Amino acid sequence: MAYVAQRIVFSILSLFVLLFITFLLSHVVAGDPAIVAAGPNAGAAKIALLREQMGLDKPLLTQFAIYCGQILQGDLGTSWFTRQPIASDVLRELPPSLELVFIAMLINLAVSLPLGLLTARYAGSRFDDLVRLGVMAGAGLPVFWIAIILQQIVAGRWQLLPTAGRLGFANREFSGATGFYLFDSLAAGNMNVFLDTLAHLVLPAFALSLLFTAVGVRITRTAMIGEFRKDYVTLARAKGASEPRIMFRHVFANGATPALTVFGMQFGWMLGATVLVEEIFGRPGIGRYAVKAVTQSDIHAVVAVVFVVGVVFLLANLLVDIALYVLSPRKQQRA
Amino acid sequence: MLRLLTLPKTNIERAAVILALIVILVAIIGPFVTPYDPMQISFRSKLLAPSSMHWFGTDGSGRDVLSRLLHGAQLTLSATFFVLIAGVVIGCTIGIFSAFVGGAADNALMRLADIWLGFPPLILALGFASALGASLQAAIWALVFSWWPNYARLSRMVTADILSQKFIASADALGVPLHRKVFRYVIPNAFDVLIVQVTLDISAVMLAISGLSFIGVGAQIPQPEWGAMIADGRSYVANGWWIVLAPGVAIFLTALAFNVIGDMLRRELDPTSRRR
Amino acid sequence: MRFKSGLIPLCAVLLASVAVPTMALAAPTGTLVIAENETPENLDPANATNSTVDELLLGAYDPLVQFSAGATEVTPRLAKSWEISPDGLTYTFKLRDDVLFHDGSKLTAEDVKFTLDRLKAAAANVLNDMGPYASAEVVDPTTVKLHLSAPFGPFLSALSRIYVVNKALVEPHMGDDHARQWLSVNEAGSGPYMITAYNPTESVTLKAFDKYWGGWDGNHVAEVVFRYITEPSTQLSLLKSGEVHIAPDITVEDKIALKTEPGFVVDVGAAATPLFFDFNTASKGPTGNKKFREMLSKTFDRQLHLDQVLMGFGALPDGPLPANWMGHEAGTEQAFDLEAAKKMVEENGWKGTTLTVRYLPAILEEKAAVEQLQSNLAEIGITLNAEGMTWPAQAATLQKVETTADINMIYSFPVFPDPHAILNATFNGALTGAKGGYNWAQYSNPDVDALLNEAASSSDSAKRAELYKKAQKLIGEDYVVITVSNPGSVVALSDKVEGYKYNVAHHQTFNYMDIGLKP
Repeated sequence: MAYVAQRIVFSILSLFVLLFITFLLSHVVAGDPAIVAAGPNAGAAKIALLREQMGLDKPLLTQFAIYCGQILQGDLGTSWFTRQPIASDVLRELPPSLELVFIAMLINLAVSLPLGLLTARYAGSRFDDLVRLGVMAGAGLPVFWIAIILQQIVAGRWQLLPTAGRLGFANREFSGATGFYLFDSLAAGNMNVFLDTLAHLVLPAFALSLLFTAVGVRITRTAMIGEFRKDYVTLARAKGASEPRIMFRHVFANGATPALTVFGMQFGWMLGATVLVEEIFGRPGIGRYAVKAVTQSDIHAVVAVVFVVGVVFLLANLLVDIALYVLSPRKQQRA
Repeated sequence: MLRLLTLPKTNIERAAVILALIVILVAIIGPFVTPYDPMQISFRSKLLAPSSMHWFGTDGSGRDVLSRLLHGAQLTLSATFFVLIAGVVIGCTIGIFSAFVGGAADNALMRLADIWLGFPPLILALGFASALGASLQAAIWALVFSWWPNYARLSRMVTADILSQKFIASADALGVPLHRKVFRYVIPNAFDVLIVQVTLDISAVMLAISGLSFIGVGAQIPQPEWGAMIADGRSYVANGWWIVLAPGVAIFLTALAFNVIGDMLRRELDPTSRRR
Repeated sequence: MRFKSGLIPLCAVLLASVAVPTMALAAPTGTLVIAENETPENLDPANATNSTVDELLLGAYDPLVQFSAGATEVTPRLAKSWEISPDGLTYTFKLRDDVLFHDGSKLTAEDVKFTLDRLKAAAANVLNDMGPYASAEVVDPTTVKLHLSAPFGPFLSALSRIYVVNKALVEPHMGDDHARQWLSVNEAGSGPYMITAYNPTESVTLKAFDKYWGGWDGNHVAEVVFRYITEPSTQLSLLKSGEVHIAPDITVEDKIALKTEPGFVVDVGAAATPLFFDFNTASKGPTGNKKFREMLSKTFDRQLHLDQVLMGFGALPDGPLPANWMGHEAGTEQAFDLEAAKKMVEENGWKGTTLTVRYLPAILEEKAAVEQLQSNLAEIGITLNAEGMTWPAQAATLQKVETTADINMIYSFPVFPDPHAILNATFNGALTGAKGGYNWAQYSNPDVDALLNEAASSSDSAKRAELYKKAQKLIGEDYVVITVSNPGSVVALSDKVEGYKYNVAHHQTFNYMDIGLKP
């Protein structure tokens, strides 16, 4: 339990260091949000007034202290452009991005785990070499480039999948309680919308997942390959256990730990990379929101995005860590 | 360098080494051998499809795509190598320092590196690049900023490993000064591990730079950085697919070549992988 | 009400679009889908200076007077008629008595006063262009008086973006932010369309208001959907697959290709949004030297830009004002003459000078213009470094003369078609970048300022035209800007769309209230 507590404390500390860095960064951003907020032909007096209203005239540390106070109360501030609480803006933008990352992660796991396991089992074979070459190719593909190419060919030329957006035109009136259309459509029993959502997710998720899958296969293989050489595998083989049983029951169960840690981290990295595909596929989401916030110098929105992505990242890691700790054989023995 | 030619075991590895050497050669002499001026716009010859005149066609401002590609190799590769070298220098300084001092400072530095490592590099770099203003230099520093922890952790690990060995204890007894210990024992031993890691990171850094250029916070016009060329061409995909295709393939092949070489180096140089 | 997508049955919409409207007085039918590359920041009429906000409000609210698409003079809307006092300080408006808000309540003079009072208290951006407006006064339910502190010639034109809100709906939400948060996601208008779904990063839906005071004569759509699509190539794909009817942001090359493709129409509107290279006239560097600026102003080939970048979609600029505008003076800017410029460079030993230009790389035309200038200046021995920026970052560098680049690119987006809207904002010394304005040349010439101020306070158009002509001459002699282009507003449409017309007073918006879909 002490371990879990230590992890949580460390995570929260990390988050505040991160927050401070972003806050500092966005305040030295070359732009001045007051000018943008004031609109055309505003004049110096109005800009000065706005700067005061926006709290930009206070010393940086004071601004940071005020901001931290707000965050502790669950208030991410108000956007000077949408005029809405940033928390509600982010809550609207997060589900489409998480949905995208979720599907991309599924693709990643569905490819990485079996391929990693098999290449570890048949290490050094032609199959292993082939997969390794594929991995190295995948790790060299620019996400945004492959997104454009896929969109042009699969959606544009072949018309197999939708070009852009979250839902087809026929389903444009759909809305749900959570904002996760995959979940909302199932809850409403609307298979049509569910399939439509999925169809719109396939291309962006695939493009997003490629790079991460390449890393995923490599990590899984490395994690598994050591396990195959351990004594207990030899022992199990000697006892006459079947090969599939060895692979899944022993090797996979033990070797998955370090791989899972990486997949946990990848979740956050993927969320940070959604910016590369969301614009191309005309999807709403946290990445597009972040770019817009940066271009408008909407400081609190920028910091909030970093904060939220950070929270998701740390949560994903923490969950994986705790899960591994709870499931780890060593701890069970002690218990 | 010569050793590099003897290492390849398979045709793919040989091809990768040759490809990488060609890319490096192009990066060095590319700007001098371009068939056309890569910056000279000529609206009268814009969006020409690939032909014997323009092997890779022309872009939306009528510039020869091949010439820009050749010129851009230097920009893209030098930016990539700068990020890696600066990252290694900063990271190793911190990592080696950390391993030598040990204790609380060591702990704090490595925790800091952990935080950095954990955070999505693209978002971090986006904030950083927008703070410094959009330019290739800003993007480069943003990436150095988010890349050093990799090398700090790695070099700390290697250094700590070396420091724990017996011959260092005897060197201590002989009164060997610190800087000699670093240059004599640590750096040579860390070199192999680092070179493997750096080679494997080339593709990731190159993709990150082109990604930053793609979202507009990296290379600026008229610089033909490969990612910026893709960003430039994406509006024209409908009637100028070659503008996007050529730099993408260039990035892909270069990244692939260095990945294969990195993999080969790891097999040959990295003691931890040999043990497996 | 907070917007959740309404649950209008889908089949009803589909049926409606199938039914062929043969009757003369048809109910609005069908759904018009418009692609847009920029997302709206909010729905607050206080921000109607922003075209992404304005295009949504244009059909949802009514102002007192309005420019119809295609018109260059305002025509009555909520105001039936008006009177201007001889001293030009009081405007008395007679309002229609048959206007209903979307909640069914009646619009009165109280709502007009409330609207203006709120905008004033909130220091709204739309008031930036309202000149010396002072206060509003209710005379009776259908009469309202607006007071000015000084005469302001283009006052009526400026009223075209003052959208009247429903006082009864808005007042309870005033709070301490003047209902900004509430109006940012809620609509309280009386216009022909109601905003029924607001998902600002995805789409916004408007539906026809059946009790609209103007009635529904002719062919109109029942529903308008704005879809936010950033990528030009994606907009093109959606236009071709029929998922959107109007695609304004595709590349010029694609627009040209569509001109000859059956099923599509390419409309070129006579826009008045000149693009400028602003020289930093207050600089201690080379651009502070008038002679150097004279040389620079000869180095840009406007004809080439029009032919090859805009592909002919636009008008060749002749000075900062569009040539067909009241008060335009011809021949005030230098013609393209690289030889003459080269000679000046050699005579004055300017070879090897390095300059910086800042611009918005997201705008293809700005990028192309910078590349053109870079390439020309390189030929005469001057290096031009380009620095692409975001809008706020670029605007922030203009706050001090020292941080202002040698050259800055900027579009002028006049909020109404009047010389004041372009010349005053671009050249008045009271509105330099350092003083928070859009005079990014940091240009200050007391004679020019006096002429511009005098013209603004007059309502005699002949006299104003004379004053503006004089001002343009002086500006030309100071070599303040290069007017790069006067691009047309080029919009690609499906040929099912009928009734689209460019609105010069509401640039980058669509007159969806006049548009019908052919069956």
